Amino acid sequence: MNKYNPPRMNPSSLRSRFATRFLRSLSKINAKKPTASSSSPTEIFRRYRRIKVAADKSMAYSVRSRRTWSRAMLWKLRTRPCCRRSVKTSTIVRKTRHEKQNKNTTTTTGEDGVVFGVEADELRELVPGGEAMDLYNLLDETAHYIKCLTTQVQVMKKIADFYSP
Amino acid sequence: MELNAGAGGNGSHKTASERDEVAALESLQFTDEIRRLMSAPGGDNASSFTALLELPAPQAVQLIQSPDSAKLIAAPAPAPAPNVDDFRGSFQFPFNCGLIDRAARFSVFAGDGNINGNNKSNSPEPTSYNSSASLQKPVKNEPAETESSQPLVSDPTVENRSIKRKDREKVKGSSKKSKTSAKESSEDAEKLPYVHVRARRGQATDSHSLAERARREKINARMKLLQDLVPGCSKISGTALVLDEIINHVQSLQRQVEFLSMRLAAVNPRIDFNLDSVFTAESGSLMDSNFSGMVIPMMWPEVQLNGNRQQYPQQLHLDAFQQPVSGREEVCNSYLTPENSLLSYDSSGNSASLHSNQLKMEL
Repeated sequence: MNKYNPPRMNPSSLRSRFATRFLRSLSKINAKKPTASSSSPTEIFRRYRRIKVAADKSMAYSVRSRRTWSRAMLWKLRTRPCCRRSVKTSTIVRKTRHEKQNKNTTTTTGEDGVVFGVEADELRELVPGGEAMDLYNLLDETAHYIKCLTTQVQVMKKIADFYSP
Repeated sequence: MELNAGAGGNGSHKTASERDEVAALESLQFTDEIRRLMSAPGGDNASSFTALLELPAPQAVQLIQSPDSAKLIAAPAPAPAPNVDDFRGSFQFPFNCGLIDRAARFSVFAGDGNINGNNKSNSPEPTSYNSSASLQKPVKNEPAETESSQPLVSDPTVENRSIKRKDREKVKGSSKKSKTSAKESSEDAEKLPYVHVRARRGQATDSHSLAERARREKINARMKLLQDLVPGCSKISGTALVLDEIINHVQSLQRQVEFLSMRLAAVNPRIDFNLDSVFTAESGSLMDSNFSGMVIPMMWPEVQLNGNRQQYPQQLHLDAFQQPVSGREEVCNSYLTPENSLLSYDSSGNSASLHSNQLKMEL
């Protein structure tokens, strides 16, 4: 009797954390769809936006607050939909001030800002939370962000492949 | 942080033994500086230095003895509270040829350029006290000294006390600044207790340029890490091009996430999500894949729509998707590249032709 034990993933790796959260949010998004208009393009578009937000949010929650970019992304996600409601803005404003103190707000030094002027600005736009970082931390955050994005793309591709015929 | 730990393992280009020797020498340098800062003037000749050595003793011993290769220290006796004689006996300078070459190449704090001329001299140089580390020069460039380290050890103390007070303060100030700059970057240094900055010949030695040089070296180390992370980046030379490549890679990854979420939005309506089945399949397949496999770009979401038998809303579908991204012009270029990659990636001919037809409709 040969028992095949499939190799167990590391349950606390970034990949498994992200996969768990993302699948959970995906099932939540799917659960609340009305079946009548599910294949209309507007409905698909709306679901696409929700899935994208869910993917970013689950990735940021998997990283917690260990990284500046995840903190910035979480803050962006929190303030994004709540701008319509007036009740929540006060709490959000208090939180943003608190989080801005926590962020490292070092400015770029002159020498390396001259060397990598244009590209550093582009990188700052791409990486969330990159505006307030000096070049060294920016490169650090970029490396971690690339790693997390790669994980995200892998997991989402696996899910999509699993559910496509 | 797994990334940093992994990067620290492969980040260096020197061999392990070279780095150990360099680290040991430089840690020796720094411990001497620290000792000199903390030293009380006076005391007799031979014992003051060793008394100084004993002050941060355990740490100094560990610093000097921990990254050792076999050539550095003959007697492997790292006592936590070292006896003076033990320390003196085991405190030998590495006198092999590789080290001589390196000492000749990386001339330390070259305010004075006569280092190669002083290779064999034991005499202290009374004129070269402008920076703290130059005191270590006669100590380090003793290649043929096979006698015990005691005369070498006592020399810095003799030179020590011949400095006038203002020089000592100036040395203290500059070494403090370099120490703090080294300290604050020491957390980021991979595997080394301090970040050691070597001044090459003809370079300035004041603390500002030292700190800047340390920063630049840190940044170059990070750039090398990023080059390893981004595929296809290792053969590019020049930091601006590497940064461009990194930016392109990040943009492509973000776009891939968007396309995948589009695809998931299109796929979803047909199938219920069963978490368990997904997990088992996923854990099996995720174990096989690795990051390098993800360079393959993904399939265009219209493949799914074709499977869903949607005929006309496809055009509306794409328009609806194009609305949020039309602000960025580069995405239009990206619509072509998944088509090209799909044509190469997908083996079946009919879907490829369908794709080209649809894209001709759209664009």
